[in-house]
Order: sequence, then C-alpha cells, then structure tokens
Amino acid sequence: MRLPTIWGRFRSSTAIVVGTAVLCAVVLLCIVVPWVASSSVNELGIPLQAPSLSHIFGTDELGRDVFVRTMAGGRIDLGLAVAGVSVSLVLGTLLGTLAGATKVRSLDAALMRLVDAFVAFPFIVLVLVLVVLIGPERSLGPLPPGIPAVFVALVLTDWAWYARLAHAQTLSLCERDYVVAARLMGFSGYRVIRHHLVPSVFRVNAAYGVGDAILFVIATASLAFLGAGVQPPVPEWGAIMFEGRAYLDSAWWITLMPGAVLAATGLALSLVADSLLAKSGSGQ
Amino acid sequence: MVAFACAVVVFMLVRLVPGDPARGILGPHANEESLATLNAELHLDLPLWRQFVAYFGGVLQGDLGRSVVTPSQTVAGVIRASLPITLVLVGVSTIISLLAGVTLGIVAAGRRRSVDVASRGVVALLLSSPPFLIGLVLIFVFSITFALFPPGGWGTGWPDHLKYLVLPSIALSGVLTPLIARTVRQSALDVSREQFVEAAIARGVRPRKLIILHVLPNCMLPVVTLVGINFGFMIAGAVVIEAVFGLPGFGTQLVQAVSARDYTVIQGITLVSALLVISANLIADFVYLVVDPRTRKG
Repeated sequence: MRLPTIWGRFRSSTAIVVGTAVLCAVVLLCIVVPWVASSSVNELGIPLQAPSLSHIFGTDELGRDVFVRTMAGGRIDLGLAVAGVSVSLVLGTLLGTLAGATKVRSLDAALMRLVDAFVAFPFIVLVLVLVVLIGPERSLGPLPPGIPAVFVALVLTDWAWYARLAHAQTLSLCERDYVVAARLMGFSGYRVIRHHLVPSVFRVNAAYGVGDAILFVIATASLAFLGAGVQPPVPEWGAIMFEGRAYLDSAWWITLMPGAVLAATGLALSLVADSLLAKSGSGQ
Repeated sequence: MVAFACAVVVFMLVRLVPGDPARGILGPHANEESLATLNAELHLDLPLWRQFVAYFGGVLQGDLGRSVVTPSQTVAGVIRASLPITLVLVGVSTIISLLAGVTLGIVAAGRRRSVDVASRGVVALLLSSPPFLIGLVLIFVFSITFALFPPGGWGTGWPDHLKYLVLPSIALSGVLTPLIARTVRQSALDVSREQFVEAAIARGVRPRKLIILHVLPNCMLPVVTLVGINFGFMIAGAVVIEAVFGLPGFGTQLVQAVSARDYTVIQGITLVSALLVISANLIADFVYLVVDPRTRKG
C-alpha cells in the first residue's frame, strides 16, 4: 500500500488519531521521565506531599515521587503487555491455524480440547496459580523479580484465546474458493498454511491483540492486589496503587494518579483497537 | 469432556511444581519418617497415573481432599463456606450490569447524537478501567469522602451483609456493564431497521411502548449469550474485588491458599471455578432456547 493511502485512511478516523496520540504521549513519558527525572525512582523525600509543581503527582508514604514511579511503572506494564501480547499472538495464531487446517483429526481435537480447558478457567485465577507455581520471586537477568513469572503465566493463559479465534477463522477460510483451489493445485499443507491462511488470520488476530493489551495491563496490575505480581519496591502500576491503598483517606494521589494514567492508556488502546477491528473487517 | 480436560490441566499444573510439596509443608528440618507419612497421605508415593485416578475418583464423589496446611478442614468445606459469598457478589453485579447496561445501550441507540457519544465515552472508560481501580475510586468517594458505605469487610448476619456488598457489586459490574451496553446499542440499531418496527411506528405505537415491546426483547438475546460467556471474567473480577474490599469469598480463600502454598485448596478452587464457567455457558445456551421462541421450532 502506498504511503499516502495509509495516511489518508489513518486520518479518516479521529478515534485512532486521538488514541495513538495519547498512547504515544504515555510511551514517551514512560521512556523519558525515569531517565531524566531529578529524583530517582526509589529516592526518599518528604512523605505524603499533595500534588504540587515540584511533584505533580505528589509523593508517597516514603516520600518517593509518584509521577516518576508511575512512569517507571509504565515501562514494566506496557513492556510486559507488548512482549506478552506478541508472543501469545504468534503462538496462538500458529497453533490455532494449524489445528484448523490439519487433516489429522486427532491433532485438531487434542489441541482444541486443550484450548477449551485453558479458556474455561477464569483468566486471573489461572494466571495467579501459574505465577505461584513458577515462583514470583524468581528473577531473570536484568529483569526484576516477579516479571518473568507474570510474563510466562500470562502468555501460557492468553495463547489459548488467540488459538480459538484462529481456529474458527481457519475453518471458515478453508471453505473459501482460493484455499480450496490452492489445495487442488497440490500445494503442500505448509505452503497453504504459510501463504494462504496465516496472513489473513494473523491480521484479524493482531487487531484483537491491540485490545488485548489492555487486558494484559489490567491483569498485571491486578496481580499486585493478589500479592502475586511484580514485587515491591519495583514500581509497577498495580503495586503502586496497592501500596497506596492504605493511605487512600489521607493521600488519594498515590493511588488515583497512577489509576488515571492506567485508565487513560486503556482508553487510548481501546480507541485504536476498535478502529483497527472495524477496518480489518473482523468476522468478514 | 472439557471438565475432564480441566481436571487434567489442574492436576498436571500442581504436579509440575518444582520441589517436594511434603518438604515444603513440614519445613526443611522434618525427618524422613514424617515426610514419608505425609507423602502417603497425599498419595504422592504412587505413580503419576494412579495419583490421577485417585484424585479424579475423589472429584467425582465431591471429595476434593483435605487442606494441606490446616488438615482439619476439607477443601470442599472451604469452598462451601466461601463460594456463596462470591456467587452473591457476581449475581448482584450481573443484575446491576443488566439494568445499567441495557439502559445505557438503549439510550445510546436513540436519536440524539450527543447522548450516544457521551454514553459511548462512559462505556469505553469503564471497559478500560480495571475493576480494582473502580473499586478504589468508589471507596474514595463513598466511604472516605461521604462515609456512606463501609470501605470493606463483611457484616454479621444477612441484612447486615448487604451494605458491605453495595460497593463491591458496583465495582464488579464495571466489567459487564460496558459489554452489555455496547451489544444492546448495536442490536437496538439493527432491530430498529427491521420492518416490524417500521410497521409499529406507522401504526402510531408510542416510542416508550415501541422500545419496551418491540425493540427490547430482540436485544436481550445476544445479552443472554454475553452474560454466559463473560461469567468467567466476572469470577476473575470477583477474585480481585474481594481482595480490594476484604470480602471473605472464594477469591480470598484462593489468595490465602496461594500465599500458604496450600496445594489441595488451590487445586480444588481452580477446578471448581472452571466447572462454574462451563456450567454458566451451558445455562446460557439453555436460557437462550427458552427466551427465543424461534429456536424452539427447528
């Protein structure tokens, strides 16, 4: 597609422009603020200060700057969401398409029963159990403790939803003339899947993925409330809000300011996701 | 079938834990003899497939084993004590979501564009806020600023419980309300293009009657499916909401079991939650058959 057409389409929807703008702003702040901030993420100061010009989100019970911590937390939440959604998306799409396209009935049945079993668990419940089984205190390389477990647990739970979507699409695509034609022409199963099924399934799934990123952020933050998320003092949106909850009556800003950033990010993501879904013509 | 697969998944997950559960429970200084006794009690000395047969046989009889950490409690007992609280919470918030969601959706489908935009804004905002955030905002507004409801905990006896349920239920309904509102809006728009609606308008049926008698029943069908499909998300939301408000439900039990590494309780609660979701889907299919007269003929 030529660049002007992409831009034309892009501009045609205000929702997507607003969403992308907010998203870019949040991402930019998350990258820049912890990097240039005068006070570091865990630097102590005067506790429980209300929002002011020097600390625009106020300070928490230890005097740490809530704004800097929120933006540092955004790196973790958004980073996890991007990485987690990408891995689940690729894994789920490939497995789901494979199950839908395979001639081996037992492979299809086995994979999809596994998917059904994963999808049947309430999302957070399965993630929580997995985090605990993996070990929330485990750290990996430069990643702070908790993140590897949260990441693996979320991906292990989430892939099944993409697989289910991909499976349903593949079944309907296999009825289409062009796929039937490709098969009749004697193309190998690999070629049909790789060139005829995956591209179209992937496009729809990727549009869902943008919306799914909200779910990832929400799940990561919720885990902190269940005591199984990213471990303090690492700044993470849910963990910051969880710690601030005890001070809700005297210092609402510790909890509600990161909450507002989370809600704004979610809103921006859903604006983009809705426009993308409308354009990808999901459900054909 | 799916229930069986779930049992397998739960069972395998717990077995895949690295380390020896018996040693984890008794501590590093336990002697070999007590370790062996506990292993035998938990059937951990048997081969894997026999462990599964023993476990699954128990599950079929409603026996989920005993709590590993407090052996005086059975897992079924823990679930029986806490599950009703969670189900009441989920039930009340489903009702709130239905009322709020259907109203929002119908209003949004109406003729005024500003109302549509405003209600879609509310929907998008609710959709992107996690339930715990809505819960915290509610606590801040209604129990700290106005002191109308308690910020958390659980009452003594029934009518007293209600005031502890108000805020959690509203917070949890934030999961389902936007989904219902969006679906109702879409199907109300679709239905209002149908000929029977035009005919009713032509007959001079009043707008209010038109909506209640002609549009609404047709909008409720997708909503039934929606509620069924999202039951799992409601349970998941309830787990978090219980943690925020300190309700002694099934989610709180799970969180406690998780922090105490009480494997049998984790296993039991996880399995029961999956069974609940499966049955909710079945019930939704059934209600659909009852509500929609068209599916009965076939």
